[in-house]
Amino acid sequence: MAGFNIIGKGVPLIDAREKVTGKLEYGTDMVLPGMLHGKVLRSPLPHARVLSIDVSKALRLSGVRAIATAADAPTAPFTVPGQTLDDELLFARDKVRFIGDEVAAVAAADLDTAEEAISLIEVEYEPLPGVFDPEDALKEGAPLVHEEHGSNIANRQKFGRGDFDAALARADVVYEGRFVTSLVHQGYLEPHGVVASWDSSGRVTLYLPIQTPVMVRMSYARALGISEDRIRVIQYPLGGGFGGKQECKIHPICALLAKKTEKPVRMANTRRDEFIASLPRLPMIINMKIAGSSDGTLLGKSIRIIADNGAYTNYAPAIMYSALMRHDNLYRIPNLLAEGLLVYTNKIPTGPFRGFGNTQAHFAFESAIDMFAAKIGMDPAELRLKNARQKGDVTPHGWKLGSCGLSECIQEAMNDAGWKEKRGNAGTGRKRHGIGIACCLHVSGNRAVMPAFDGSSSYIRINQAGKALVFTSETDLGQGARTTFAQIAAERIGLRVEDVNVALVDTDTSPHGWGTWGDRATTLGGNAVLAAAEDARRQLVEIAAAKLEANPQDIVGENGRLYVAGAPNRSIMIAEAAKAFSYSKSGAILTGQGSYVPDDIVSVPDPVNKYGNVSVAYPFAAQVAEVEVDLDTGEVNILRLTAVHDLGRIINPKGARGQVIGAVAQGIGFAMTEEMKTENGKVLNASFKRYDVLRAPDMPEMSVGFVETVDPNGPYGAKGLGEPALNPTAPAIANAIYDAVGIRFHELPITPEKVLAALRRKGRRTQQPRHCRAPRGQPLHREIPPQQHPLQAGRPQPHRL
Amino acid sequence: MRYEITVKVNGEDYEAYIPARRTLLDFLRDDLGLRGTKKGCDEGDCGSCVVLLDGTPVNSCMVLAVEVNGREVTTIEGLAKGDELHLVQRAFVEQGAIQCGYCTPGMVLAGKALLDVNPHPTTTEIKEAISGHLCRCTGYGAIVEAIQAAAESMDGGQRASGKTGRSD
Repeated sequence: MAGFNIIGKGVPLIDAREKVTGKLEYGTDMVLPGMLHGKVLRSPLPHARVLSIDVSKALRLSGVRAIATAADAPTAPFTVPGQTLDDELLFARDKVRFIGDEVAAVAAADLDTAEEAISLIEVEYEPLPGVFDPEDALKEGAPLVHEEHGSNIANRQKFGRGDFDAALARADVVYEGRFVTSLVHQGYLEPHGVVASWDSSGRVTLYLPIQTPVMVRMSYARALGISEDRIRVIQYPLGGGFGGKQECKIHPICALLAKKTEKPVRMANTRRDEFIASLPRLPMIINMKIAGSSDGTLLGKSIRIIADNGAYTNYAPAIMYSALMRHDNLYRIPNLLAEGLLVYTNKIPTGPFRGFGNTQAHFAFESAIDMFAAKIGMDPAELRLKNARQKGDVTPHGWKLGSCGLSECIQEAMNDAGWKEKRGNAGTGRKRHGIGIACCLHVSGNRAVMPAFDGSSSYIRINQAGKALVFTSETDLGQGARTTFAQIAAERIGLRVEDVNVALVDTDTSPHGWGTWGDRATTLGGNAVLAAAEDARRQLVEIAAAKLEANPQDIVGENGRLYVAGAPNRSIMIAEAAKAFSYSKSGAILTGQGSYVPDDIVSVPDPVNKYGNVSVAYPFAAQVAEVEVDLDTGEVNILRLTAVHDLGRIINPKGARGQVIGAVAQGIGFAMTEEMKTENGKVLNASFKRYDVLRAPDMPEMSVGFVETVDPNGPYGAKGLGEPALNPTAPAIANAIYDAVGIRFHELPITPEKVLAALRRKGRRTQQPRHCRAPRGQPLHREIPPQQHPLQAGRPQPHRL
Repeated sequence: MRYEITVKVNGEDYEAYIPARRTLLDFLRDDLGLRGTKKGCDEGDCGSCVVLLDGTPVNSCMVLAVEVNGREVTTIEGLAKGDELHLVQRAFVEQGAIQCGYCTPGMVLAGKALLDVNPHPTTTEIKEAISGHLCRCTGYGAIVEAIQAAAESMDGGQRASGKTGRSD
């Protein structure tokens, strides 16, 4: 990238060496001397009254140090920050509400003893009828998951823009469809874990692999009934998060056990715990209606969601809100109507997963857009181009698009995939060929769930050796945020990347920030780091200017050195300047401080009509999937996937490419293979053996491209990428299958069984499936190197249509 | 029931008196403090805990520690020589094959074991070699490329022509 030393370079992760040598200590690797081991007793029943709990036998087991139940926990219910529906307790008090509900916990000298003690706790239950389907839960007389609410509706939202009914009346064509998304798990490889330890002053330290150290401190303080200041969270590296590591009930339970035993306690989920009692993606039943003219003008859209909350409420109201409206900002549609019901069932509670509701809604919306195109006989890519949002648009929801490369993404994805030649060319043999497109937009720097403040803060300390340490509260969950921050700081100050380290979050020493969700890290955290770097640079430049007898504005930083522009031999090492600063101030360390306050750009949406610009920037994408459908077996082979993303500016091309391919792998899983199957509330496939995450041979050929739009609000113009890359994948595949066989799949995942059944209904084949397995990709792996990408440099190209 | 075992781990001899039910994974992590070997599922499904047993990759959660009596184990901690990374490790760093890094130790050892027996693998062979390993971050692309690059760099050391591994 012209003009930059470090931005735009594919530098390795700053912690790559620690990771590749096995030396990085993750949350679940943490040990403290003398620590005990904790284990949770979970409900075996989906809905039952708890009549009695007898822990006497378990307490008599040698090595058991403490047992905690609801009797030891605060009685006031709590929820997560920014949400208002307090329905959680540390342990089930009178009732269990799902298989996996926490009933008791044991701390023992070792894990074997803790597990044995769990089996000795005697709980008497009175089973109650359960409700497992959100539509059943809405019926008159359905069992109530939380009686005190009077119904199973946990949250209801309804809002609109323009006049949808009028649009309907004016429309030439209306498409309406019902779409269903399944319960899928984040599948982070490292299970949740925690070590808790109290000090003599009555403060507890939680060592956590967590995305949101400051936010969990808020909810855990409520859960434990203590003030926030009495909790210190020390973040440990995460073995993946994907939205799933924003909260976990074993963390405060572990704190409770540590308090009771007055010893450090460690707890970790088993993989089975993860599948029965974590916070998987909120499943939705989505009714989508698109109204428009026969020339392809979109006039209106309505959405009605029934979302399956599970037994307790985490961030689901915010997730449903995002599903109800984010996709409205993708195309120019003036008349909108949204209605959502979040419904309790006796199932595993649900929560955030990369995409935060937008993934579910995009599957429905982008499938429906395709069907609308089919109804009016228009190329679905042309329909998207015709209605695509453009830079400068203010959408009906009040979103201000400071940058928007959607049209360029569509064009480039079409060109790369050979759209024109391949579309509508299914062939005639046993294997039918199809190509489909889907787009998405997402937020970057969203704050709609945290009303307290916008933005982010950072500070950077530069020691006497010229090494910088960056402090921020936006976390790295493996996506490389620490490396992004190091690049931004190094670029601005003039350091080498290897001279910059980024501290993990410690709530005692880090700035107060909301952590990583809503694609906040790069935009908000990056801007804060940039501001702190600017402040550090200013101080260094003052020293350098004095020493070099030059004007401060003539000083340039590069490669660990400050020099006078045009006279590179008049220079001083940054280490020397930092040392001079320190020695002139009795050992103080040069510290740059920076805050990014988004200045009336961002606002929490209106609580009733949900209007407001919720994010500092909005990334866009288009993906094209090419598939082959086997008419005899129902197997869908994904031949190739093109992903073109508008990410503002590329900070690190290797990291960006890795984010896209990794997200697409999750998107293919969401589309084709992944589903936590439940029966009467029980998860039937609670292991990686039976829950099909894509493996290396399952990946299709990939082509990754980037459109750099240089967002006015992003640091160096950058926008987020981690979440949006997952959103278009499932609808692109569904649309490709439609192109191949003319069948619209409304329910995920699209398994060979479903495909074969649909083919039979269509009367094409009557044979039994021969085998049912995950889609197999072509072995060859290829991508467009970002630096060769035609849209890489400068501004997006104009339309070529 | 406890047993006495003698095992060589990363070139060093260890003697231990361990319960029969202790897995090799727990033995490495909890008894020897070698926590570079990761626990992802404890059921043999994810490959995070892969180590080399007499040079062959195994899921250490599916092996009992008593079974390795008299044998040789290599974990991720035993791969680099001092500060010098193994070629597979170096390729993982350079190719961007690491995100969260939790699968990395197992993936690196699988790559090394593959190249030990097949110095010129095709991409299909690489994908098969790591098919027992889950990675939820990368989508595998960069991992396959890293193992390919490691094969090529090993090649480069041996052959002047610069001709590299086969493609499919």
